[in-house]
Amino acid sequence: MKITAIKTERYGIFIAFIVICIVLAIASPKFLTLPNIRIILTQVSINALLAFGVTFVIITGGIDLSLGSVLAVAGVIAALFASPDAYPVIVPIFMGLAAGAACGLFNGVIITKSKVPPFIVTLGTMTIARGIALIISKGRPVSNLSDSFNFIGGGQLAGIPFPIIILVIAFVICSLILNKTVWGRYMYAIGGNELAAKASGINVDKIKMLVYVLSGILTATGGILLTSRITTGQPNSGLGFELDAIAAAIIGGTSTAGGKGTMTGTLLGALIIGVISNGLDLLNVSSYYQQLAMGVIIIAAVVLDSNNNKK
Amino acid sequence: MKVSISKFLLQTILLSGLFISCNNSGEDEIVIGTSLLSMQNEFVVSVSDEMEKKAKESGVRLIMVDAERSALKQVEQIESFIAQGVDAIILNPCEYEASSPAVKKALAAQIPIINVNSETSEKPTAFIGSDDVESGRIAMRYIAEKTGGKGKVIMIHGYMGQAAQIQRAEGAKEILGSTPGLELIAEQSGQWDRAKSMSLMENWIQSYGSQISAVFAQNDEMAMGAMKALTEAGLKDKVIVVGIDAIPDALQAVKKGTLDATVFQNAREQGGQAVATALSIIQGKPYEEKVMIPFELVTAGNVENYLK
Repeated sequence: MKITAIKTERYGIFIAFIVICIVLAIASPKFLTLPNIRIILTQVSINALLAFGVTFVIITGGIDLSLGSVLAVAGVIAALFASPDAYPVIVPIFMGLAAGAACGLFNGVIITKSKVPPFIVTLGTMTIARGIALIISKGRPVSNLSDSFNFIGGGQLAGIPFPIIILVIAFVICSLILNKTVWGRYMYAIGGNELAAKASGINVDKIKMLVYVLSGILTATGGILLTSRITTGQPNSGLGFELDAIAAAIIGGTSTAGGKGTMTGTLLGALIIGVISNGLDLLNVSSYYQQLAMGVIIIAAVVLDSNNNKK
Repeated sequence: MKVSISKFLLQTILLSGLFISCNNSGEDEIVIGTSLLSMQNEFVVSVSDEMEKKAKESGVRLIMVDAERSALKQVEQIESFIAQGVDAIILNPCEYEASSPAVKKALAAQIPIINVNSETSEKPTAFIGSDDVESGRIAMRYIAEKTGGKGKVIMIHGYMGQAAQIQRAEGAKEILGSTPGLELIAEQSGQWDRAKSMSLMENWIQSYGSQISAVFAQNDEMAMGAMKALTEAGLKDKVIVVGIDAIPDALQAVKKGTLDATVFQNAREQGGQAVATALSIIQGKPYEEKVMIPFELVTAGNVENYLK
């Protein structure tokens, strides 16, 4: 019963995705080839990871604007521990993830303890985290990373790029958390009606902290992937990434009012953004028109979806 | 909206800091105000490092602020320098037109203003920098030479509309125009960013594959991204990749032979000369109105001279 409900809800966005793919496949014969699909999925993986994180946050009625900066902090910190022969590859990964979790925890604690709106708190964290990334890297890229670290973003397992494997694993874990655990239920409950959730005995603060920590960890995973992919930790990476991630979640049907959203929808949202960007590059469309087209298609996709929901 | 709030807050803090530090300064100390394009840009950081070093040597107090790529903010910073009555201003312009009011205002307040690295439409007291058109020419000339003047070329632009992007593209297109065998098959903005440029290149490889004979990226970050994509696609040996700026990463890559060439722009020379020129003007000594620091092509043959 629940599954069919979700399916009809996502129907519109799924059709939009298929239509966009068909149009691009007709326009460019290279679009629907295996190597290109592999590239699209690799390129989508980072935005999708951030979008999964922010989906948790938006479902509880919050927002996380610090994603792009947290990505940079995690990336730079991981890079600092990833020079060749310094530590085993698990150390930079752990340090990066820990940095992301710490940023998320910071957001969560301030939001729940101060009752300041998440928009303001994460806006502050956005600037703080960017500052930290610049301070610890002294404003310069951290390069010369070990081969094992560079494998994370650049390597392949059985012909599948590693970022795609991470994307699939993250998708499965996030879907499980949202659909199969009490935490997931509580997230929807808090986003639907926070007071009612509190009255029914849900530890609202704990769940809110959890979603920001999850968002931080997923963003850090994206940061580690990006750093490894471009083989350098860039303090200015991730600028504006929060907007792409939030766009993916919203295109995917996550309601900014809270209480509604799915990981499948968010994944589709990220894929739509990814195929448009890839397809327009294949067609060598100028970047001016790309921006225009991206905006139009995003709005069209959401309108299509909301009309579909009304029926 | 969100961004502008945070920038406003930051700016207020920065500016209040300026006023406080200004009150503490002695009467006869020379003070130079500096507004920089972006402290998140490695090249600008190198210029500013050298400025600080030079200022320390000469006993000058340098007030350095970051315009964060906003010309509006830059104009406001110059206004506050004027209000503080600094002895000279060094401007690293964000934009050719939009940063011009800053120059106009300084000149109207009779404070000498020195542009470093990029130009503005309003003529400053002095200009220290390099001719970006020439860097584009040097890069594309190298490609023409290496390909024997025949082949298909891809150009990755910086942020569209910025002086460096316009001029580097102009220089490159000049050479393309005079080399009929070279065909520009695709061009797009990689926003000076390595990850963005890597994705672009991956997508282009799908479209053009082995047809590509050379890639000109308007900075090294983007050249490194393109190179990474080509390497992963197994095409690097067949494609010539050239960047500009000679950042440490790119120099290492040239040494290893993965990047074919980069064009060295002397950040330290620009920073040092800017402070030296400002001092000469303040002290009434003769100075050059336009100091052009030449670009240099860096290839595997001479890369050792540039590695520290």
